[in-house]
Amino acid sequence: MDQTVVRSESIPKVRPAGSAPAPVQEVRDDVETLWVSRETAGDVLTRLKRSAPTRMMLFDITAIDERQRTHRAGQPDSDFTIVYHLMQFDRASKAPHREVRIKVALLMASLTMPSMVDIWPNANWYEREIFDLFGIHFSGHPDLRRILTPPTWTTHPLRKDHYARATEMKPYDLTEDREFAEQEALRFNPEAWGMQRRSANSDFMFLNLGPNHPSVHGVFRIVLQLEGEEIVEAVPDIGFHHRGAEKMGERQSWHSYIPYTDRIDYLGGVMNNFPYVMAVEQLAGITVPPRAEMIRVMLAELFRLASHLVFYGTMSQDVGQLSPVFYMFTDRERVFEIIEAICGFRMHPAWFRIGGVAADLPQGWDTLIRSFLDYLPKRLDEYEKLVMRNRLFKARTVGVGAYSLDEAIEWGITGPGLRACGLDWDYRRRHPYSCYDQLEFDIPVAQKGDCYDRVVVHIAEMRQSLRIIRQCLDQMPGGPVKADHPLTTPPPRAKTMHDIETLITHFLNVSWGPVIPAGEARACVEATKGLNSYYLVSDGGTMSYRTRIRTPSFAHLQMIPLISRGTYIADLIAIIGSIDFVMADVDR
Amino acid sequence: MQHFFLDTTLGLIILTVLEALAMLVPLLVGVAYLTYAERKVLAAIQLRKGPNTVGPFGLLQAFADAIKMITKETIIPSGANRALFLLAPVLTFGLAMMAWAVIPTNNHWAVADINVGILYLFAISSLGVYGILIAGWASNSKYAFMGGLRSAAQMVSYEVSIGLVMVSVLLAVGSLNLNDIVLAQRHVWFALPMFPMFVVFFISALAETNRAPFDLPEGESELVAGFFVEYSSLSFGLFFLGEYANMFLMSGMTTILFLGGWLPPVGIAPFTWIPGPIWFIAKILFVLFVFIWVRGTFPRYRYDQLMRLGWKVFLPFSLLWMVLTAGFLMATGLLPHSGS
Amino acid sequence: MHVVLADYFPVLVFVVIAFGIAGAMLGGSLLAGQQKPYAEKLSAYECGFDAFDDARRRFDVRFYLVSILFIIFDLEVAFLFPWAVALGRIGLFGFLSMLAFLGVLTVGFIYEWRKGALDWE
Repeated sequence: MDQTVVRSESIPKVRPAGSAPAPVQEVRDDVETLWVSRETAGDVLTRLKRSAPTRMMLFDITAIDERQRTHRAGQPDSDFTIVYHLMQFDRASKAPHREVRIKVALLMASLTMPSMVDIWPNANWYEREIFDLFGIHFSGHPDLRRILTPPTWTTHPLRKDHYARATEMKPYDLTEDREFAEQEALRFNPEAWGMQRRSANSDFMFLNLGPNHPSVHGVFRIVLQLEGEEIVEAVPDIGFHHRGAEKMGERQSWHSYIPYTDRIDYLGGVMNNFPYVMAVEQLAGITVPPRAEMIRVMLAELFRLASHLVFYGTMSQDVGQLSPVFYMFTDRERVFEIIEAICGFRMHPAWFRIGGVAADLPQGWDTLIRSFLDYLPKRLDEYEKLVMRNRLFKARTVGVGAYSLDEAIEWGITGPGLRACGLDWDYRRRHPYSCYDQLEFDIPVAQKGDCYDRVVVHIAEMRQSLRIIRQCLDQMPGGPVKADHPLTTPPPRAKTMHDIETLITHFLNVSWGPVIPAGEARACVEATKGLNSYYLVSDGGTMSYRTRIRTPSFAHLQMIPLISRGTYIADLIAIIGSIDFVMADVDR
Repeated sequence: MQHFFLDTTLGLIILTVLEALAMLVPLLVGVAYLTYAERKVLAAIQLRKGPNTVGPFGLLQAFADAIKMITKETIIPSGANRALFLLAPVLTFGLAMMAWAVIPTNNHWAVADINVGILYLFAISSLGVYGILIAGWASNSKYAFMGGLRSAAQMVSYEVSIGLVMVSVLLAVGSLNLNDIVLAQRHVWFALPMFPMFVVFFISALAETNRAPFDLPEGESELVAGFFVEYSSLSFGLFFLGEYANMFLMSGMTTILFLGGWLPPVGIAPFTWIPGPIWFIAKILFVLFVFIWVRGTFPRYRYDQLMRLGWKVFLPFSLLWMVLTAGFLMATGLLPHSGS
Repeated sequence: MHVVLADYFPVLVFVVIAFGIAGAMLGGSLLAGQQKPYAEKLSAYECGFDAFDDARRRFDVRFYLVSILFIIFDLEVAFLFPWAVALGRIGLFGFLSMLAFLGVLTVGFIYEWRKGALDWE
């Protein structure tokens, strides 16, 4: 059980000069958590960024509506708490892994927070999200508009007093007038978005790319300001796929929320279950048995393969190659055959459980996987010739959409997109979770950070995943697949009928859901597209008090304008393809 | 009977109409089945089945598609210029068909065996760009507009290389008549001595017909469908058929200019038993297969790369090669004497 | 004159038939298909949104440049056609004079290249 208390000696670095020591909060994960005042927050963050040996990323900003929370002993008074999550990105030799959580208390009387956009540019969308969903104002923000809900929306859904179920609201009726008004609100107005209609020697063309467009990978809208074929400015517009996954977390039992997580990054399958159940297990203090750990890792890597194969195929499709996507989907079917044999489902397995996995591996799972492990490498070699060594593919992707390592960190890029810039940073290695510390694998990197390199890293990662799966196959330990813990959900069947105690626990766990002890914990995994993290706040109930889902795709999309300025439309399509995102992961 | 057809004006007109229909009807069927063949070949490349439900092996798919397209609603966008909008597909399709008037399928088997056949083809293929430009303009949609512009610029860029390649061939033939061009290849197909020109011509033909890897005007992943994004029903169908008819035409031109038209590969016994038109069709089908094969294999060029290839590589190269051909023929005295 | 007409008469017939078929197909489809237009259906495609503004507008000057270059070189090719056919008869003098013509054109081409008219950036 890892109920780490923050070590106080690691804190002083972040204390603003001359003020009292920042109050440290105890949390259930190993992230240093401290409270600072609104006035000093900017200083503290700047100091943290500067004082980091090299690079500190603004990993996430979120908020908690504290007004109905009962277990807050030792925390400053707060109606709304802004939570900044920082993570350090350095080569392993330079510094130990470090994450910091900075909390700022806000009271109802003044729901205003200074914007941090000047310190980290990627604060922009996060602050807009909080403004949108919590109604907290960010002073000094350059573009404080709603981001996930439509511009005509009037409420702030993540507030605790906001309805969360369809039965709590009036029926929604889309009349013709209303439809017109909504359309009108979405109409792009260059001036309002800070753009010129014409330059000295030409008129710009404004083009809507998406949400109904074949290559934006879902419902994603980018408004392009074009001069000829060249992109002068690109403005991403998201939120078309928003379905309130975080709010649902507050209305589902800890157990019944697991299937919802599947649908966050629908290509990643268990990659979403994984951090969620790990966070719950940290809150509950459950230690997962080794067999379950290794099964989880194996499935995670299988899903990494499935997701990367889709990426590979659609990327080549986006630059106009028609055939590879079919080959890769065929291979992905092979992966799904295995996953289906194990979980019973293909894309949305919902197979991890609090304290383990749903069931043991089926008979014959090892032969299925072994034949697949022999099959895929040859196919990958073939695709290497077909796609990666194709001169046209190179002409379309080499040097296109490049960003530097510093830019990547500034903008919160993680995963293959970060490793394509030359940093061998992988959460599985830097902060090993589950049983990754027992497995051997390399961290593939590339140097230029362009579209081609991002594909290179993805492909190399598939080979590493195969390597990890083979180790799981060879080293799979025996034993139970669920923890022997009262909060394991549902508890192992044999233990439920033992005596009245276990029967009652089982009954309560099934009818109410488990009661998870109050506290806060965050779990993060190296998902297929980058770092996927679930930050859970429990108020000692059967449901989460606050579920924060930090997804890689959200951060990555924010960077599109930066890397697409001055390129062509065709380049933008290659960039979008190489970023590897799904809109469900962006909008949640 | 023979007297009626050859000597009276009316008979001559009827004969010509019949000849034209004898050319156009198989061509139309061929175009319809080219769409089927493309889907089947692509499916085979991509490990799929392709059309397989309508009729045996999906052979009636082409007719099913035709019926579907005819009975669909013709949507004319409210901002469009109606007359031009409808004219564009007719123009594209009509021009693609028109060109076949001069194509010889066997020795002196052409509907119009005119003495400037190659110039006629050159002129018709230059006109092809109008249909696309008009479609892009008349739709009054940004995607269509950009697609139309791209397409126009692309087609004219490769038109020049095609012209220069044709000139190189003409140097060796000494006539503008397509029949003469084929007969000049009795000993060796021009594809062999002029191999680089053959490659330039074939690639330019891909660009000229907006085929992959030069399908930018209709780049699915960028401009959705490009210049015909607003078209539906048979107005779309005519573009579609026009594009495939153009593929046929370009394959026909490749065959005539470089692959010896209706001539068998070697002028000896088993090959000469097979009639000329069969050879001609077989060669066209081969070239078409390569068209589809390329589409199943390559990614798409980016616009600037495509223009660079056209202007900075193909144009200087074909110009130089043309001069070298002329010089070589002059020096070796192999030049054909015109009118002989 | 009569011979030329006779040669081209089939072309005319061909044109009439080709466009006749195209027109008939389009007309037939207009008759056969049910037409049920309404405002949204008739709006131009712009990925699901109403268009910001008119699509017909000033566009990149490079497209004009390409068309002008095309005219120059296409005319050149048009000159080359008769020359190529007649080269056997006009001999060395014809060859050299065309070389001179091409030389001038090449100078112009190099000039355009150096000026960046062929670049798309």
